[in-house]
Amino acid sequence: MQEGLWNRGETISQTQNWKSGVSYSCDPADFSYMKVNVPCQDACPALTNIPSYIRALYEEKFATSYEINRMVNLLPGTLGRICSRPCELKCRHGEAGLGEPVNICHIKRAASDFRSLGHSYMTPRFAPVGKTVAIVGSGPAGLAAAHDLAMMGFDVTILEACEEPGGMLRYGIPEFRLPRIILSEEIDNILRLGISMKAGVRVGVDLTLESIMSNYDATLIAAGCYEPMELEIPGEDLLGVYTGLNFVMDVAKGFDVRIGKKVLVIGAGFTAFDCSRLALRLGAEDVTLCIRGLEEDLRVTTDEIVEAKREGIRIQSLLLSKGVHGSGHVKGVEFFRTRPVERSSGSRRTVEPILGSEFVLEADSVILAIGQAPQRIPGPGKQNDRGVIIADFSNFRSTAPNLYLAGDYLTGPSTVIESISSGRRAAGKIAEDLLGKKLKEWVVRIKDAKLTDRQRSWDLIPRVEIPTVLPVEDRFQSKGFVEVETGFLPEQAHDESKRCYLCYLHYEIDVNKCIYCRYCIDNAPRDCIKLVNDIFTDETGAISGYLETTQWTEVSAVVIDNSQCVRCGECVRVCPVDCISVSRMDLVERFLIEETEA
Amino acid sequence: MSRQSFVIIGNGPAANQAAESLRSQSSDSKITMLSKDSFRGYLPHLLPDFVSGSIGEESLYFRPHAYYKEKNIFLRLGQKAVGIDFSKRRIFLEHREVISFDGLIIATGGKPRIPEYYQLFEDLMLTLKTPQDAKLWISKLKSVDSILMLGGDLTSLSLTRALLKMGKTIQFIINEDSFWPIPYSEEIYKAVTQRLESKGVQVVHCNKIRRVTQIDENLIEVDTNTCTVRTGAIGAFFGLVPDVRFLVRSGLDIDRGILVDEFLKTRFEDVFAVGDCAQVYHPALRNYWVSIGYQNAATLGKIAASNLLGSHLEALVAPESILDVGGVKVNTSWWTEF
Repeated sequence: MQEGLWNRGETISQTQNWKSGVSYSCDPADFSYMKVNVPCQDACPALTNIPSYIRALYEEKFATSYEINRMVNLLPGTLGRICSRPCELKCRHGEAGLGEPVNICHIKRAASDFRSLGHSYMTPRFAPVGKTVAIVGSGPAGLAAAHDLAMMGFDVTILEACEEPGGMLRYGIPEFRLPRIILSEEIDNILRLGISMKAGVRVGVDLTLESIMSNYDATLIAAGCYEPMELEIPGEDLLGVYTGLNFVMDVAKGFDVRIGKKVLVIGAGFTAFDCSRLALRLGAEDVTLCIRGLEEDLRVTTDEIVEAKREGIRIQSLLLSKGVHGSGHVKGVEFFRTRPVERSSGSRRTVEPILGSEFVLEADSVILAIGQAPQRIPGPGKQNDRGVIIADFSNFRSTAPNLYLAGDYLTGPSTVIESISSGRRAAGKIAEDLLGKKLKEWVVRIKDAKLTDRQRSWDLIPRVEIPTVLPVEDRFQSKGFVEVETGFLPEQAHDESKRCYLCYLHYEIDVNKCIYCRYCIDNAPRDCIKLVNDIFTDETGAISGYLETTQWTEVSAVVIDNSQCVRCGECVRVCPVDCISVSRMDLVERFLIEETEA
Repeated sequence: MSRQSFVIIGNGPAANQAAESLRSQSSDSKITMLSKDSFRGYLPHLLPDFVSGSIGEESLYFRPHAYYKEKNIFLRLGQKAVGIDFSKRRIFLEHREVISFDGLIIATGGKPRIPEYYQLFEDLMLTLKTPQDAKLWISKLKSVDSILMLGGDLTSLSLTRALLKMGKTIQFIINEDSFWPIPYSEEIYKAVTQRLESKGVQVVHCNKIRRVTQIDENLIEVDTNTCTVRTGAIGAFFGLVPDVRFLVRSGLDIDRGILVDEFLKTRFEDVFAVGDCAQVYHPALRNYWVSIGYQNAATLGKIAASNLLGSHLEALVAPESILDVGGVKVNTSWWTEF
């Protein structure tokens, strides 16, 4: 089974050229099946076809692997470095007893790193539709929306307040995590679709929103969150107290930021970690990250925590700031110690201060990285109590005609991959509203598949971790711009790609041919083949459970539980009557209009 | 009503005392002890004496196998718990067995802590937590005379004392994080340095190890930010971390260890945690801490067992600076005993 370019976004013309053996399904049961059985793809907000791009990389088709990514997440080289990796939390290789999740994110980066210099992008193009769209903001959501709209034939203009496009990607993520050359290449690739980029335009200051709306058929605000949150404690206005966002942006813009030797960072997200690690690169010698809850609740990757600690950052948990101490300039922060409190099932852990536990940590500088909110842009439509325009999360529409919101501006702070997904979905909705028809849809593509060459022994390969610059001191050379993660070597990426189970494969026993010999059960590596008396389905018709039995007289079928199956293929190999079939199910996005140029 | 099934995860002082207390108060219950180690419970504070040859190996172990049989305690050695479903009260073992429980005491103890920065050099460092670790030291000390100690925890000072008795040359790099939960200061650094140097230990003044190179089997070169140290072996002593990684995201509150209340109870009904793997808030320190020392652990094991059986005993936190460690009244100022 070879990965080919047909894995990229589908178009009608491509569909018609396909040979027999391929079918498309919009059956809710098939979507439910994909949700359960390809959990990595389901966990990705952009629905990246992860098994497909990992398989392509295994076959050393790096450009194909890159393109499978790019068609849905647009910035594989960037995301391969900074994605929050919700997919890895759901990877079935990480389930109890199966080892560690596949290093999905860094395989994505490898696809970007190893594609040839002459790699040509494969964006399908469609005829101009004669409609104009203005997008406020060129962060991940704005770029994603611009990409999709331009591809579908809209005339798109981006208005960006900063000097260069990228938003938080360029100004909110330090260079040691995301080299600007990688980011710029991927942004240029989006803009080359004919998107007009107007930088240095502050909507609401230089140009009113109303004037933009009057000149375009639709306007999308994807301006991100640039209003730093405050702790609302005494002393926040002392000299030496920075907000995380301003601190990171000032460093990104090359300003001379002086923070002293002892730095406290208050916050628990990626920005707090970025601030901590940047502080070290600015010469701080003692950096402590103070979090309200527990380390296990941090919303960053384990790699991030390990690397931060390796660089010398201390994490102090269960701290709640009470006040900033100092006279004119900050001298320290007074904290309460906190304790976790009871939480209802499924909710996030919360903490409460322990009375009488107050103590002070000294500091030369304090960085408050506790989040940010959208900035107010004066304009029409319903607004929240801060005067920020709001919109319906489900369709991105504000209450003003043809005014849409997307990304963090709509939802509040989220991840890059969530913003990209939001931007793309908003683009789809805008296109649908302006043209009165749907231009694309998600479908399940089902195709016969042969057994892969995966070997059972590959399941035992330990997870390959991303190499980093060592010794740690070398990371602080070149003004701290050295990229810390150096990326996989080709053989490391290849080894890691072997570990993917390829959950898009679907195994099924034909009960009419099965002779109940049990060879498959005897050879199964886990409890994935079941003798059942009954099968339960959910409201969509997808299988939701089995009534298993050990009594031969009660067995009505032998079934493969694909949610347990590790796609090793042993059952197929040992079956004496060839009653087990393998198909490949891909959740793909299909365009409903004709492509005009490649 | 079927007899109650109690499970204790761990085989250290806290776990053994908990088992003994459960048996003495509940003669017909089923008591199972799970230990990932394949050896009997031992007294870790005696390991330095074992390394130096002052005591024999048998002195390390505090219970013969016959004891467990006599008390009808099911001791399962070499069986590692890898997960717990608290809602269904089930423990998952590494070999895929599932054990149910009515009451659970988690006493998994601690394991040597190696700070992330030093993990790069971990393969070239010796720790001292188990009898196996001690045997590695004994073997190494046959061929080397100089040892570089990194850290400053209780074990490092005990071992330093034992090694000095053996006539070994000791160099010491003091690491401030080893003094947790005490806020490290210049005063502590000076006091520890003075005490070490008065016994003939050379304190290496540096704050960063840049590189560790194995020159040959018995010679390691350590580049620091101030000098280069040549030594026969390196000991890493940065304290212990609670051995609770398998419980992360299980629903328990885990900071450095499992957070428990003054009754040693976790968030879940009939589930307790004691010893080096448990953390309780200490009002005097204004911080959470792990109570160390085997006698403390044993006391806590006893209280947890009683509370599991329905008592409401409070585990009093020790006054700051005074805890019993191997019969020595020390804790937050252990270096003063050196």
